[in-house]
Amino acid sequence: MAKKTYDLLFKLLLIGDSGVGKTCILFRFSDDAFTTTFISTIGIDFKIKTVELRGKKIKLQIWDTAGQERFHTITTSYYRGAMGIMLVYDITNEKSFENIVKWLRNIDEHANEDVEKMILGNKCDMTDKRTVSKERGETIAREHAIRFMETSAKANINIERAFTELAEAILDKTAAAQGGRGEGGDHADRVTVDRRQASQGGRACCH
Amino acid sequence: MDGNNECSNKTETEPKHFEKEIEDGMNRRTIKCKYCQSVILTPGSGDYFERDFQLPLMKQKKEACPETECVSSFWVVKDMFTFQNVGFSNTVGTTKYLTCADCEAGPIGYHDLNTRISYVALNRVSHTN
Repeated sequence: MAKKTYDLLFKLLLIGDSGVGKTCILFRFSDDAFTTTFISTIGIDFKIKTVELRGKKIKLQIWDTAGQERFHTITTSYYRGAMGIMLVYDITNEKSFENIVKWLRNIDEHANEDVEKMILGNKCDMTDKRTVSKERGETIAREHAIRFMETSAKANINIERAFTELAEAILDKTAAAQGGRGEGGDHADRVTVDRRQASQGGRACCH
Repeated sequence: MDGNNECSNKTETEPKHFEKEIEDGMNRRTIKCKYCQSVILTPGSGDYFERDFQLPLMKQKKEACPETECVSSFWVVKDMFTFQNVGFSNTVGTTKYLTCADCEAGPIGYHDLNTRISYVALNRVSHTN
């Protein structure tokens, strides 16, 4: 009965210090957009988004740490099954950039070793408050052989592109692993919803 | 939240003009967010289903005690990955509330963790071609 409406399912995570705008990366700023007090009080656990790449319908299940990073409790369970990680810092916050190295170590310790990573320098619309140059972002990404992009969730710069590129990189990896076997999507890991209990923290949004 | 989502006093605010949206028991048209037009479900992906449920209002006056309304017309989605774009809230009891994935307007419905079935309220979304 249940007809499958997609080819592949990728689980993605957003990681980085508090306040770098991780939650906002998944939020479309627009004039008539709003968050109700009800939803913002409970908080959002994850989102499902659909992209089409090379004729394949791909479901992205995107998880936000929901403040767990504050307590350094991001461990193996959060990383389980993750195929892609967006590692986010804030270009106006030096400390969040320095911590990228720490997060990379955390990922190495806990995540699957072939997880696809991308570093995002967020809030790139705030040029007058910038403390981390784009070159420094590019350098650290090159040193770790990771993709890099500067983004602005607020001005909607590079957000779609970042997710598309990350998904494409995973798709390449998946295709390579399957040795060109056509229909491979049936075994994409499924992630159950009840993994985490409600954390009652509200969203800490940027500006 | 007391977790009781039965409708005791029915204050039905739903218009009853949904018949034209149903084709072979499913949604005839694309289901989008009322506010930002993000696509939630493609045609023919939700089963029409009637049940009473107290769904918190999308616009709340105060944060103290969420106001709810009795909603009874839903599109049922059995596999969450059928959704084109959707957000799942953190868990309240055995419920996760559904939101627009882009502007986070919601709740547009709910997800029952026991059955893993999602319910999209017809009166919280728009139906377009």
